[in-house]
Amino acid sequence: MSNRHTVLLIEDNPGDADLVRLRLVESESDVDVRCVDRLSAGLQQLGDESPTLVLLDLNLPDSHGAETFRKILNKAPGVPVVVLSGQDDEELAVKAVHQGVQDYLVKGEFNSTQLARAMRYAIERQALLTSLDISRRQQLEFKNQFLSHVSHELRTPLTCIHQFVTLMLDGLTGPLVPQQTEHLETVLRSTNQLRSMIGDLLEATRAESGKIRIEQQCIAIGEVIHQVLSMLRASAQNKGIGLEIGVDTRIPLAFADADRILQVLTNLMDNAIKFTAPGGSVMVKAFLLESDPDFLYISVSDTGRGINPEVKAMIFERLYQEPGTIDDSRKGLGLGLYITHEIVSLHGGRIWVESEPGHGSTFTFTLPLFSLAKLLLPAVVEEGKLRSSLSLITVELTPVSAQAVGNWREIRRQCLELLRSCILADKDLLLPTLGIEKREAFLILAAADLHGTEVITERIREQIARAPDLQGRVVGNVSAVPIALPTRDNSEPIEKQVQELADSVTELVMAVLLKPRNLEPKKINTKVN
Amino acid sequence: MDKAKILIVDDDPDLRRGLNLRLRANHYDTAYATDGFSAIAMAQKEKPDLIILDIGLPAGDGFVVLERLQENASLSAIPVIVLTARDPQATREKIMRGGATAFFQKPADNAELLSTIRSVLSPPWPGTVATMA
Repeated sequence: MSNRHTVLLIEDNPGDADLVRLRLVESESDVDVRCVDRLSAGLQQLGDESPTLVLLDLNLPDSHGAETFRKILNKAPGVPVVVLSGQDDEELAVKAVHQGVQDYLVKGEFNSTQLARAMRYAIERQALLTSLDISRRQQLEFKNQFLSHVSHELRTPLTCIHQFVTLMLDGLTGPLVPQQTEHLETVLRSTNQLRSMIGDLLEATRAESGKIRIEQQCIAIGEVIHQVLSMLRASAQNKGIGLEIGVDTRIPLAFADADRILQVLTNLMDNAIKFTAPGGSVMVKAFLLESDPDFLYISVSDTGRGINPEVKAMIFERLYQEPGTIDDSRKGLGLGLYITHEIVSLHGGRIWVESEPGHGSTFTFTLPLFSLAKLLLPAVVEEGKLRSSLSLITVELTPVSAQAVGNWREIRRQCLELLRSCILADKDLLLPTLGIEKREAFLILAAADLHGTEVITERIREQIARAPDLQGRVVGNVSAVPIALPTRDNSEPIEKQVQELADSVTELVMAVLLKPRNLEPKKINTKVN
Repeated sequence: MDKAKILIVDDDPDLRRGLNLRLRANHYDTAYATDGFSAIAMAQKEKPDLIILDIGLPAGDGFVVLERLQENASLSAIPVIVLTARDPQATREKIMRGGATAFFQKPADNAELLSTIRSVLSPPWPGTVATMA
């Protein structure tokens, strides 16, 4: 090797480490070797200064197997890694190569020439990968900038056409004869079509480069569906297509970006209307499936001509266009369902289509249900410490409908009483209640293991379902996550530690609840029970 | 009641003309500026009740105009509606932070734009009829 390189050797066996050093000396490679015997020390070194290459033993005192190379690759993605494998775990080493490690050497089976060659090729390959990645990014960035620029430039003349056509249609430039009005309406329709195509173009570029931003918050899907329906009712009526809706009022809140879901539903329903003949109908439904309790299902069905089985797989792909559209409306760019698919995926949901040619199609997508506990999970669970004897139980109350509620304070009081009866006063802790408009979240820190937590949550669910004053008025969503006590001074009394944890959990919940942009901070208040 | 005056800042002559026709038909008084520099000069001269501002402008873009308006004590209270062809996802936040009251991407829906103008211009005290279209 021509330049002087630094090699980080992560190896806990002193004998093996010495052997590697010896081989390096023999190979007359011009390298500095830094040797550490723990993964944590290796990760620290990588953070301080990037070496040219990492030689990595997979089984260390503080990390074993695949976890070892994953952490290293994660920490320094641009640094080439060569795994030093034992004779009995070559399989793991091969797996490591599949996942981004550059090469592996079996301990005791390589000489200095082989080591030097493995290192040299690892460095070369990594450099090649890095430059490929950079040039791919540059190309993507160039394409994005180009499209963004083009769409900007296209919008200006489009705005001009739109402005003057609407000025004429609104009669602001003098009276029109009916035929002129009709022609201008055709121009306006085409203008709007062009506008949405330009929007799609930009959106698809964003999807491709992972730049679609979604801001998930708790949303009522029923409201979004009604919004879409009111937007599309006129065009459906014009075509003689009935719109039907089947949404259970007790459907729980979803965790999604309302604007984006509006976009998804508009696209699906717009397509459904487009591909359905006059006299047909389009039905939108929202429902739950017992087999998949964490998700909300939304489906759009039409009585249109259906989709051939062979194109079903391609329909969500970019630039796919339905051949031989019988509809009189023009084809789009073939980006709508691709964008829809990307948006649903970004939410952690799935989308698919079921169809029988001649008998219509059903597009179904799923969205995660809103759950405070799940939102808090990454913040309260320390990695690798899931076995805990402490859990956070969240109970969210949502009114079934505005009319059903009546006295919300009273409902809240009753629920608090009910929760107190379900927990152990000397062990579990009921945290201050969080209320957002007519929704309420109760938090319990329970000193219970997984089984104990299950018992408590089940008891709470039963009690809420049975409480005569709550029945038919509110939905109670109960969920739990195990949490780990932050490592802190053990000399402090346990009560104090728990209280501190309770404070930080409350703070965390506030932060999670405050983040959604549509919820005004002033609407949230904590009440000490 | 006097007509409310709106300053239209856009470098495209056709867009200015179109928007001017639309606003005058809705009983607003209008004034023009064609670049970032004259936007400030016109704002000082005309004392408009509202500014409709494009972002891509010569001689100081819309962001610069927003900044200048904020810095100037006699102009900082004038509400600004931004009307731009640019990608809202990339620019909306920056524009709102710059002190704009509302944001529309071109081509904007006429009814929505006019209703925003009305609500921005309607005086905050009760019992006053807002300028109607």
